[in-house]
Amino acid sequence: GNVMALLQISAGFQQIKLGERGGHRRDFNDFGVNTRQLMEHVKDSKCGTSGSPIQLTANFYRILSRPQWVLYQYHVDFKPPMESRRLRTALLYRHAEVIGDARTFDGALLILPRRLHCKETVLYSETKSGEKVLITVTLTNELPPTSPVCIQFYNILFKRVLRLLEMQQIGRNYYNPKNPLNIPEHNLTIWPGYSTTILQYESSIMLCTDVSHKVLRSETVLDFMVNLRQKCGNQRFPDACAKELIGLIVLTKYNNKTYRIDDIAWDHTPKNTFTRGDADISFMNYYKTQYGLDITDVNQVLLVSHVKKRTGPGGGPPLGPAMLIPELCYLTGLTDKMRSDFTIMRDLSENTRLSPDKRISRLSGFIEDICGNAGVQEELKKWGIGFDNHLLNLSARVLAPERIFQGPRSYDYNPMSGDWSREMRGIPIISSPPLNDWIMFSTRRNSNEAQSLLQTLGKVSGPLGLRLQRAVMVEYEDHQESLLRALKQNVGPTTQMVVVVLPSNRKDKYDSVKKYLCVDCPTPSQCVLSRTLSRPQALMTVATKIALQMSCKMGGELWSVEIPLKQLMIVGIDCYHDISAGKRSIGAMVASLNQSMSRWYSKCVLQHKGQELMDGLKMAFTGALKDYLKFNNCLPSRIIVYRDGVGDGQLHSVVNFEISQILESIKSLGQDYNPKVSVVVVKKRISSRFFAMINDKVSNPPPGTVIDTEVTRPEWYDFFIVSQAVRCGSVSPTHYNVVYDTSGLKPDHMQRLTYKLCHMYYNWQGLIRVPAPCQYAHKLAFLVGQSIHREPNIKLDNYLFYL
Amino acid sequence: MEPLFSPALHIQRHQFVVDFVRGKKPKKVVDLGCGECKLLKKLRFHHEIEMLVGVDINEAKIKRYMHGLAPISTDYLQPSFDWLSIELYKGSVTQRDARFKGFDLATAIEIIEHLTPADVEHFSAVVFGYMRPGAVVISTPNSDFNPLLPGLSGFRDRDHKFEWSRAEFRSWALRVCSEYGYEVEFTGVGEALHGHHDSVGFCSQIGVFYRLTASYPPNTLGDDEDVFSYTLLYHINYPSLRDNNTLRRVLVSEVLYQAEQLKVRWIEENSGGRCLCQTGGEMKELQIERHTEVEEKQEGAGAEEDQVLQTSRPNQQDPLNRYVTVPLSALWLHCPKIKKLSGSLVNLRHLLMDEPEVRLSEDGRTVLVKNQEEDQEGDLDFHSEDDGFTEVSCCSTSFEQEEDWEANV
Repeated sequence: GNVMALLQISAGFQQIKLGERGGHRRDFNDFGVNTRQLMEHVKDSKCGTSGSPIQLTANFYRILSRPQWVLYQYHVDFKPPMESRRLRTALLYRHAEVIGDARTFDGALLILPRRLHCKETVLYSETKSGEKVLITVTLTNELPPTSPVCIQFYNILFKRVLRLLEMQQIGRNYYNPKNPLNIPEHNLTIWPGYSTTILQYESSIMLCTDVSHKVLRSETVLDFMVNLRQKCGNQRFPDACAKELIGLIVLTKYNNKTYRIDDIAWDHTPKNTFTRGDADISFMNYYKTQYGLDITDVNQVLLVSHVKKRTGPGGGPPLGPAMLIPELCYLTGLTDKMRSDFTIMRDLSENTRLSPDKRISRLSGFIEDICGNAGVQEELKKWGIGFDNHLLNLSARVLAPERIFQGPRSYDYNPMSGDWSREMRGIPIISSPPLNDWIMFSTRRNSNEAQSLLQTLGKVSGPLGLRLQRAVMVEYEDHQESLLRALKQNVGPTTQMVVVVLPSNRKDKYDSVKKYLCVDCPTPSQCVLSRTLSRPQALMTVATKIALQMSCKMGGELWSVEIPLKQLMIVGIDCYHDISAGKRSIGAMVASLNQSMSRWYSKCVLQHKGQELMDGLKMAFTGALKDYLKFNNCLPSRIIVYRDGVGDGQLHSVVNFEISQILESIKSLGQDYNPKVSVVVVKKRISSRFFAMINDKVSNPPPGTVIDTEVTRPEWYDFFIVSQAVRCGSVSPTHYNVVYDTSGLKPDHMQRLTYKLCHMYYNWQGLIRVPAPCQYAHKLAFLVGQSIHREPNIKLDNYLFYL
Repeated sequence: MEPLFSPALHIQRHQFVVDFVRGKKPKKVVDLGCGECKLLKKLRFHHEIEMLVGVDINEAKIKRYMHGLAPISTDYLQPSFDWLSIELYKGSVTQRDARFKGFDLATAIEIIEHLTPADVEHFSAVVFGYMRPGAVVISTPNSDFNPLLPGLSGFRDRDHKFEWSRAEFRSWALRVCSEYGYEVEFTGVGEALHGHHDSVGFCSQIGVFYRLTASYPPNTLGDDEDVFSYTLLYHINYPSLRDNNTLRRVLVSEVLYQAEQLKVRWIEENSGGRCLCQTGGEMKELQIERHTEVEEKQEGAGAEEDQVLQTSRPNQQDPLNRYVTVPLSALWLHCPKIKKLSGSLVNLRHLLMDEPEVRLSEDGRTVLVKNQEEDQEGDLDFHSEDDGFTEVSCCSTSFEQEEDWEANV
């Protein structure tokens, strides 16, 4: 019954589109997915109860309109029918004396802030050629502020407001190019801006706005290519170029559109021609005559962008791919290489990270700009709406910190820092297999570091409860091949652990170690950078972390928290998208195998093109259930799936397809097997922010803060948890949306269980942003996507080998 | 109805103006009756123009389209040396406004036929007598062509007050010329097919008027006072390197970037990829290496470049503070963009002098770039905490039992 009902949730959903100009608009807000209505137990309330109350400020502004404010929706009919939307608009707008100058018209649907005299108004216009046109404007609807069309209208209106403030739209957000922040060392420019969404939230319609930064490059794609060619030589250039550029977004010198680079046309140059009107024209000539732009390098290759599902003029066949001239394009965002560059990322975050008080003052500045701009106020007044001039205040709850258990001992952690690396010192971990047969590889140059690591590991292992035999030390030449050879010669079937000291963070060596030891010769492995070992004063700390990491890679159990549910299996799903062309997505699933959530079944699948994520993960799901059965002699009576990696606008596909696939895989274990199932969509990249006043200072909310009122969505069973503590900048809350739930768990318990799971990530002795299984799944997918590119060996399924 | 012209006639008219602009390179251009601002949108890409102005009687229309004239993202990202300011006014072309004097080009594309004959006279007086731009491009329908337009009876647009034949247009144009001191060339866009051209002319006839420099403006309106009858609706200055603040900002970024690049290259070349944070002895060795390398290069490079080469490599000084010094002359010489932005080495030094972001040496000849020690990184985030394991007090396991979660179904 549930599956059927589920399929209907969004079947009836037909998005009503109110396009301002140029049709296709994607719904990024997952509008119209109404999952809450099917869950009886949260129909009345989805709020938790435990924890201590806290007052928060959120980055939301209420939209104000006078009571009984409505918009009037009209249908506009033209006789004879006019094909061109532009013409229809022009003909209608000539009657400003009737319809007024506050209006939004998409060619058929007219929205006015006022009611016309008659239900049906007939107007006459003439085209330029004197053709008489009869225009009938019929009132079809009164739209209350909460109606979907009205919400859409708000967003369109707000875009106008941002244009009036002379902000530049890039992608979905708006930026102010007049106060750029430069990081010249890396040739980066950052534009400050805002992300904005207007939606119906739990109790009112609000504008949610967050500070956003756009990273731009002050060099053209051509500059970039020339540099790259210099660096890597002609031979490697094509590969390197494709790798770096494909998937990046560019801005052009001649319009305000963004294009994604999908390919590089190695056989095209600006001298190539295309057909324009009746004649062929070269790209060079075209840009010169149209935009006065000179192309200096006539031999540069062109970039290809597959323009999305847009149809040609007059609804014709889709336009072909857009050819772009590198010299006329600027890069936005970061390449993968830059992302992995520590100094770039550090400098970036130094420039973009905002402390809570700075963030609040930016947000307030934004609303002041809106309220202080005469043009904006005039536009808003025409429609009879305004914005609240202060941020939303709301109450939330802070859950009590968990107690951390390590075998017979337990301890509390500092609730503000959410970290117990200090507290766990000297307390043996729950269990760890004795390490008898293991090898440490290092280059001759790093042999000192390797020796001291070995010694320090010996020192720290005792108090942690790890039993450690002396490792076999192997030296390798500083070449990838030599390292691989050394691995092949020394790692055998009985080897429990391989430690490799790497002289530099060159990715290829790391990749080849992981590839060999995850696929060909399944053995848990630990890579360490020699530099990490170079500071003697930090060696104890480093060795402790390494010892813990090695232990859990072999199946060791570090700590646990109280989980009051029995026969429970927690599942985490995440995916990794390789943005470069032709590469496939990778889905990872991690499922708990025991009560203490210390053992996990992990599986990773490479997705084929066009395949849905869950198609590949179905097998993994049944695999996890079978392993659970092996571990516990019974199947779980409860399954809670945390699904991470769902993009904006993809919620409907999780609801419509993935849930039924999950239920099918469960059913495949037996018709009479009926566990309670919950599916929770986890979202990290959200624009909601919360602030608390702590000691009279605007601060981040403490870890454990749960928000389940005001800023949640009425159609969902959703909540936010701030589960981590950050040392600088503003903390990001995580959004949890329970889209399917037959568990009958109280919302309070769902929230607390979720928070408990944020304590269980063994690679970090503290709280993290998402439930541990999501982070494990993320780690696994990332390792496979970045380094291994193949499915790991099944012998590793029951180990956290990817940490 | 099949389109008669390809590209469409209105596009051809605009292209005519664009071509005119590319040929004559006017600096100040005004479009009379700018409507949807389409022509202005095309003209703003042409670097010759420094001031682009539009005027139209329809305020709502301007307001609807004016934001299309705003600079685009890349104009901000990499400002050019071009200077462009755009202004849009609400106003009637039959009224004078002092701000419209002194233009190099005025265009009135398909405008005059919307005016009553009396207003055409006002228009002539305002445009040719008062504004007196260097050139005027006027297009208007050619009624001789109308018989070739299928299904047309009467005027091409209901709002047209008249449509002139070639002769009528000609006689008006010549009269304007003699009255206000202009000369005119006749042309047009939209040619008739099948050799009808000679008998009917262009579909849109165009008069290109040039002011005769010798002639003086007859003071027809007899009033020297400045009048401002138009309302400014929109004004924007495009970011430009001619603006000193913009120039400094761009230059500073470029200098710091290139200095960083030179530094990195130099470090790589001199240390074989090894990091440079070592004792003075090793430093010396590097310095010596550097000198011999420079000397070798000098031999091959010829005498003239001596000075340049000596300073073309960053110097490592001050090993304690770990600064790399990059001579300004090296930057100026090796980075075409810096050369272009600053013009001269002296100017470069001058521009950078007061910039807080750029550290210059005391003599102002070199840029000091921090030679940072590479930071710790790795997939493990290590805190540098004190060592020694402090015993955590051992707690008993008994604590308040959680309530039974299973029970609540």
